[in-house]
Amino acid sequence: MAINYLASISRYVPELLSVVIMVGLVLIESCYDNSERKKGFFYAATFIGLLFVFINLCVSLTEAPSAIFTNSMVIDPFSTLVKIIMVLGTMAAIYLSKESKDIYGSLKSEFAIMTIGVMIGGMILASANNLLMVYIGIETLSILSYALASFKKNEERSSEAGLKYSLYGGISSGVMLFGMSHIFGMLGSIQFPEIMAGLYELSTFETAVLIPSFIMFFAGIGYKIACVPFHMWAPDVYEGSPLPVTAFFSIVPKVAGMAVLLRVTMVFFGQEGALQVSWVGILSVVAALTMTVGNVSAIGQRSVKRMLAFSSISHAGMMMMGVVVVSEIGTRSILFYSITYLFMTLVAFFITSFVADKYGNDHFERFSGLIKRYPMMTIMMSIVMFSLAGMPPLSGFVAKFNILSALLSEKYYILALIAVLNSVVSLYYYMKIIRLMVFREVESMEPIVGFGALNQSIIMTMTVPVVMIGIFWSGIMHLTEGASIFLGK
Amino acid sequence: MNGHSNLLNLILWMPMLGVLAILLIPKTKENWIRYTALFNTIITFALTIVLYMKFDPTVPGMQQYFNVFHPWISQFNINYSLGVDGISLPMIVLTSLLFSLCILCSWTISKSVKGYFALFLFLQSSVFGVFMSLDFFLFYVYWEVMLIPMFFLIGIWGGENREYAAVKFFLYTFFGSVLMLVGMVALYFVSADNPDIGTNTFDILAMSGGKFTDLSLRLFGMDISFSKFFFVMMFIGFAIKVPVFPFHTWLPHAHVQAPTAISVILAGVLLKMGTYGFLRIAFPIFPQASVHFADCIAWLGLINVVYGALCAMAQTDVKKLIAYSSVSHMGFVMLGLAAMTVQGMNGAVLQMFNHGTSTAMMFLLVGILYERSHHRWIVRPDGTKGFGGLYTQLPKYSIVFIIAMFASMGLPGLSGFISEALIFLGIYEKYTTITVLALFGLLIGAAYLLWMFKRMFFGEVIEECKSYTDMNAREIFYMSPLIVAVVVFGIYPTPILDVMKVSVGNLVSLLAKFN
Repeated sequence: MAINYLASISRYVPELLSVVIMVGLVLIESCYDNSERKKGFFYAATFIGLLFVFINLCVSLTEAPSAIFTNSMVIDPFSTLVKIIMVLGTMAAIYLSKESKDIYGSLKSEFAIMTIGVMIGGMILASANNLLMVYIGIETLSILSYALASFKKNEERSSEAGLKYSLYGGISSGVMLFGMSHIFGMLGSIQFPEIMAGLYELSTFETAVLIPSFIMFFAGIGYKIACVPFHMWAPDVYEGSPLPVTAFFSIVPKVAGMAVLLRVTMVFFGQEGALQVSWVGILSVVAALTMTVGNVSAIGQRSVKRMLAFSSISHAGMMMMGVVVVSEIGTRSILFYSITYLFMTLVAFFITSFVADKYGNDHFERFSGLIKRYPMMTIMMSIVMFSLAGMPPLSGFVAKFNILSALLSEKYYILALIAVLNSVVSLYYYMKIIRLMVFREVESMEPIVGFGALNQSIIMTMTVPVVMIGIFWSGIMHLTEGASIFLGK
Repeated sequence: MNGHSNLLNLILWMPMLGVLAILLIPKTKENWIRYTALFNTIITFALTIVLYMKFDPTVPGMQQYFNVFHPWISQFNINYSLGVDGISLPMIVLTSLLFSLCILCSWTISKSVKGYFALFLFLQSSVFGVFMSLDFFLFYVYWEVMLIPMFFLIGIWGGENREYAAVKFFLYTFFGSVLMLVGMVALYFVSADNPDIGTNTFDILAMSGGKFTDLSLRLFGMDISFSKFFFVMMFIGFAIKVPVFPFHTWLPHAHVQAPTAISVILAGVLLKMGTYGFLRIAFPIFPQASVHFADCIAWLGLINVVYGALCAMAQTDVKKLIAYSSVSHMGFVMLGLAAMTVQGMNGAVLQMFNHGTSTAMMFLLVGILYERSHHRWIVRPDGTKGFGGLYTQLPKYSIVFIIAMFASMGLPGLSGFISEALIFLGIYEKYTTITVLALFGLLIGAAYLLWMFKRMFFGEVIEECKSYTDMNAREIFYMSPLIVAVVVFGIYPTPILDVMKVSVGNLVSLLAKFN
């Protein structure tokens, strides 16, 4: 048994390391007094630590899947790739918080600590192989997220965001837990493989009874990825939270939620049957609605942050389309999408954050004539906007192409049409920023502090994959293919 | 699969080389930038002439000698595959000719010169890509990439209402192309089930030949013919570009707002991409559906001809008038395509080329006038004349204008006549009613052009026009190749007809199998 645990722990290094970093950061924060030296040391520890986690994950990317801790978690290439995306997202969000004015004083270090906590929750979710782990993962993720949302304690909107988030979160995890207990009651196990085995021995009547409990289970996950009809919290939370938090929310919890949704779908509903039909039916309606509602709501927004938040809802809908097909191609396309989405969203939020810091708000007009002041940043922003809308030859197009090919490989023509027509709608509001930046006259020539040489070069570095993955995507295809073959087997 | 010649690669990437060179030149050296762009487009033009010389008109289909083939994305069997045949060659030559003339025409652009010329050459490269791609995916990428430089070129250097025009143009075309995207990916997945193809592929040539005739797809519980459904999708995609009525509403805005050179490219080259799409993709891949919808295409073509001409007649803005005349003339191309006979198709491809030259002349001439007058009203909104007596004031300009106008009208001896005559010959037997009605459209065409000419060039010289100077050497220089083209191909169209004859014949015989 002891050997067994040792073996398990050896595959569990990234999570453990993250916990060590988190605890270490708490210690650094409380031991040092408030000085510049502490700040440097704090961030050095954060980034070096996360870099180690990242390297560790990269090294173990190709290892064969194995179940650890008596089957409660599974470490496979799929979960490892998802974790890599989350670690990168967390690192970028922490860097953004360091530079942002929206988060100030001691909050900066708290932000780093809490995001790493959320990331750990996400990692547990990505690997979860039984219902309890899913629940623990979601709760770890959520509780810290509530705190993050109400970060600016003195501001009404932020507190409102935190309250709203926790109310919604509490209810949906309650509903989810109820669904889970029902599943356990019917099948007598919380382990995924045993549930899967049990599912196909049920009579038609029992299956019919079980479907509602799966829907309840889905409510919990759906709330995390903010899909319609569980999305109502998202705009207010995204708006009320500080910008780096919003950036973080639109990446890490989303990707984690998507990972667990994908795993659940592939494991439970991988075989054809009544269960699959009803699950896929619900998912496809939800995906189409999520995408459309997200896009249509994004059109009328005045704040860029809010627009990006709504667009992230619609991107979640797009990714869910890949879940609908329940196949390796679908998994592959979602992973591909997540990778490209990570870079695009980060660049967009970075630029928005620096502009917002200068003016104290992030209304569209603040971007007017940016090309006269920061031509390079304008080009980068235009690239990611076009990419988010799905213009070739950028990575966003390839990601959409992948989702589309997943849909059409299973002959979902209507969903495919909905998906592409949505990208036309999205092009409209993404173009709005480009229009303002390029075609309008400049408001003022004052420099934007955030666009220093270092930040500019970081933004440019993050834009490189947005372009390169659009042209040379064979490598990323290979990577995502390798990560998706084991899922659900 | 790789041919012996790298010429296509060279032509495709030469403008990109120009973009790089321009980006390296400092912003203040505006003349360097202009000369680099000019030099670059002239080299490209020379290369396309070499391509024309080396082209063997007797070879049917793609010229193996020029093929370029590199695997790109192995997982999806996407290849970087270029080729040229008799249909694309005239378009490639037309593109390189018009782009080099437009560089000269944009010489007076003074607002961020560097960006303008860089985007302009970028546009040229992507247009070449559309005309050369043999891989559907590659075709789609170029088809879309082209929108980005166009968006900025209209949006930054355009007229007063440029933002609206740029956005409308972009959204409209994007809408059409995403429908095409769905069709493209759907084709990829069904191609493996086809015994003639055997693997999933984006290869346009492998998919051509009516291989998807018997397939059907289920939609809302109904069985619909696969080829008809996706033919309609692609039809919308291409029709928006042509533009076919009722998808034409973006065109007047884009044309009026775009700077002269961009209008020329838009009317001269980009509209042809739509009809080229029919010839390269929609017709060869779905011949049965094409034959099925031929009546529909013919009637839409007729509406284009008549409606475009009537709209043109009602315009008081010269540029808008020319823009609507493009709608009308592209209607003839659609008629020729719908005929699906040898004459009709040949006429359609020839009309694509000839309309490219004649409409380019018209837009360039309007641009020349605009540089002097800074307005384009034939009749101002308050009812007074915008121009008058230009003929006595600008004799050289008037002569060139007359040539352009008559070419566009289809006067015998000038280029427009031959292509329109061929189209009518091709279509008469199949659609007699439509032919007669379209001839009526031709009449309206003559009417609005002559009426415009009368109002602008004859009568009293109004006060304002007295200060206008006649065409200068640069302007005469860049108009002259087009004058030569319009006159020479009006008398002797064989150089173009010869290269496309075999390729067009191939397509017609394929379509005839399903007739």
